[in-house]
Amino acid sequence: MEKILSVKNIKKEYPKFTLDNISFEIEEGKIMGLIGRNGAGKTTTIKSILNLIHTSGGEIEYFGKSLAEHESEIKQQIGYAGGAVDYYKKKKIKKIISVTRKFYSGWDDAEYRKYLELFELDEDKTPSELSEGMKVKLNLTVALSHGAKLLILDEPTSGLDPVSRDELLEVFKLLAGKGVAILFSTHITSDLDKCADSITYIRKGQLQFTGSMSDYIEQCRREGIGETLEEIMIHYEKEDLHEKFA
Amino acid sequence: MKNSRKLLNKEISLAASPLSWLFISFALMTFIPGYPILVGAFFACFGVFQSFQSGRENNDILYTVLLPVKKTDAVKAKYRFTVMIQMIFFIISALLTLLRMIFLNKAGPYVENPMMNANQAYLAYLLLVFALFNTLFLCGFFKTAYKFGRPFVSFIVVSFIFILAAEVLHHIPECQFLNDTDTLCNTTMWGILAAAMAVYILFTAVSCRIAMKRFDRVDM
Repeated sequence: MEKILSVKNIKKEYPKFTLDNISFEIEEGKIMGLIGRNGAGKTTTIKSILNLIHTSGGEIEYFGKSLAEHESEIKQQIGYAGGAVDYYKKKKIKKIISVTRKFYSGWDDAEYRKYLELFELDEDKTPSELSEGMKVKLNLTVALSHGAKLLILDEPTSGLDPVSRDELLEVFKLLAGKGVAILFSTHITSDLDKCADSITYIRKGQLQFTGSMSDYIEQCRREGIGETLEEIMIHYEKEDLHEKFA
Repeated sequence: MKNSRKLLNKEISLAASPLSWLFISFALMTFIPGYPILVGAFFACFGVFQSFQSGRENNDILYTVLLPVKKTDAVKAKYRFTVMIQMIFFIISALLTLLRMIFLNKAGPYVENPMMNANQAYLAYLLLVFALFNTLFLCGFFKTAYKFGRPFVSFIVVSFIFILAAEVLHHIPECQFLNDTDTLCNTTMWGILAAAMAVYILFTAVSCRIAMKRFDRVDM
């Protein structure tokens, strides 16, 4: 299977936070959950792999190519949706899309129409007229409409109602079946139970685990840490709380 | 379509404030006698500033860098848009100046004008105000790609000192020729305009390169 994204030992230092030695890999057709509590470093990791921030070390390769040297070529093949950020809030969605689609050689109008219908988005509305959940859906629609081989999604399910969340997870599974790799950050671990093949767990900026989700749960179950991802996360994060108040 | 054209289209269709276009009309100030007409160049720059303000409110820079383009292409796109607005303003001003120089060169209100007249020196000053904007504001903005207060205030201060100096200059006896109305065949005046054009190109190109380097270091 083709390796879509390879992240090796990335590091980012802030005055009060350090993301240290984060490594993981995603293969085509696989869904990886990037988990950790708020402030653990999930968004910093995603920003690093999108070249939105500068890492102080490590390597990031897409399709075996360095992002720094093949930036625009790689971006043609990846889709990103970052939650409910609204772009050009007073412009009609139709207008935003008519400009955006020109940048993507693989833009598929039929796919775009399909997701508009699925997510019940009205092209004549402006982003300012959308709820937070609908903004997430709009960003996802753009990310899904240009034939991306890798989707990088930062908290895509936050703000969505349970039905939309379930629909989205189904879409993820269908896309994975077509060979699309998906990396999505979340702190809603139940989302991962439904669709993820692997996880990368970041805790206080450190890599706690990366690999098969079922193997990790099995390992933790044997060690008596927990039966589900939620129980495992709570176990580790509570350790910190106990340390702080000890 | 090349990425540079697509990005310029994005600037025009999504990021630009209507005021950037509207304020081009200040080029008509070229016709006003007894008024510091060079202020029109400041207003043109103020119009461009409005697009930066609207761009920030709409997460335009983040949107751009997420498109399949190089991160630094976002800087080039902003420079291209700014230069486009400035050149439209300059061409309108140049046409109006030519009209004044050819048909109104003996008109009383212009001949007796105590303020700046529209001639090649005026066009040269316009370009220098634009060069100041590109160097102080655009290049300053891309230090953070977010904070534009300080770069714009520094442009306001320096450009108004420059406008004041330009208005004072032609009152100095040795420099009175800078305000002549009948300069169509004056090679010195054309030379001044050519020199200003060279300064504009140089300052814009160099500041764009610096802005690209600065923006490349910015964490979004």
